[in-house]
Amino acid sequence: MDKNKLTKQLAVIVLVVALFAGLDIAIYQLFIKRVISHHSPGMQKMSVEVDNYVPFTNSDNVHSYQGVVTLDGDIPRIDGAAALLPVYAGFVESIYPEDSVIFNGEDYDPSSAMHYTNTRGAYKDIVDGNADIIICAQPSDEQLAYAEENGVELEMVPVGSDAFVFIVNSNNPVSDITIEQIRDIYSGNITNWSELGGNNVPIAAMRRNKNSGSETALEKLMGDTPIVPDYTTLFGSPIGFSFRYYVTGMLGEGGVKILTINGIAPTAETIADGTYPVAGNIYAIYRKGETNENVYKAVDFMLSPEGQKIVEESGYIPIC
Amino acid sequence: MKDKTFAIILIAITVIGIGVTAALMIHGYNLWKQISIVEMIANWG
Repeated sequence: MDKNKLTKQLAVIVLVVALFAGLDIAIYQLFIKRVISHHSPGMQKMSVEVDNYVPFTNSDNVHSYQGVVTLDGDIPRIDGAAALLPVYAGFVESIYPEDSVIFNGEDYDPSSAMHYTNTRGAYKDIVDGNADIIICAQPSDEQLAYAEENGVELEMVPVGSDAFVFIVNSNNPVSDITIEQIRDIYSGNITNWSELGGNNVPIAAMRRNKNSGSETALEKLMGDTPIVPDYTTLFGSPIGFSFRYYVTGMLGEGGVKILTINGIAPTAETIADGTYPVAGNIYAIYRKGETNENVYKAVDFMLSPEGQKIVEESGYIPIC
Repeated sequence: MKDKTFAIILIAITVIGIGVTAALMIHGYNLWKQISIVEMIANWG
């Protein structure tokens, strides 16, 4: 046996094993480690699991005020965004007949008056006539165009508000940002945290799915400034965005922090008085010209003192 | 080591390596679909 040949063969084997090991370690460090959910109590408190918010199940997560008004006759089908499920589950438990809500243990039955298809599904359903009221943040241009194409005009009634917040890892020394800097980050003009007074680390500008509520909020914030995809996301220190409701439960965990914008933190007071610059409404949305009187009764309830208490107790800011 | 043996060992290592890498990526993708952006940033210290 040629000893030299054997050495070369062993070297090749070791090299191939080392290459795969290096690749797998890199995948773990750059990707898997960051997507492992620790399910801490704070996160669980604010995570929206559909079966924790089923009306008429005595759930502590659903806040309701029964007896103010009860709908009968043609019950409107209601749907909405994931983050707003606690709000409209409370509305439904307050004014809908109990037998109009049918949950099969995993999802709502097609014949149920309450559904949960999230922002994208809800906007499609209200236009297609599969829902009569939806509870969502503002629609994207694409969702408005879909309504227009189908000859549907949407009536949007604000029933509460929340803040659009930008978050970073709690180890990031940057704590404040301006609207202009946010636009520069997402348009690719600012690419390193050192440009904002932070460490010399690339910025990983994280995004959400197209037509999700928070991605739409980013698009509105950017205005005419084009959003440039960040292909270096895996290697930088992240900035992301969400609604205040989602992040609140995380603050005590120490993992993330909310950036102040122009020096203003998103508190209940600054959202309510409009000084926080990117607060946004949550809406009850129905088709213009709706003939079902119960739709208007439901919206009136949402704006009543009891309806607004549900908004507040669900973690959002009432508007009246 | 005979060339045939060497080739078999190399192929076996490659197949196992690709399998493990693919499994890791599928596992990561499944985790990514479930995690919130907030929690991901918290993990990203």
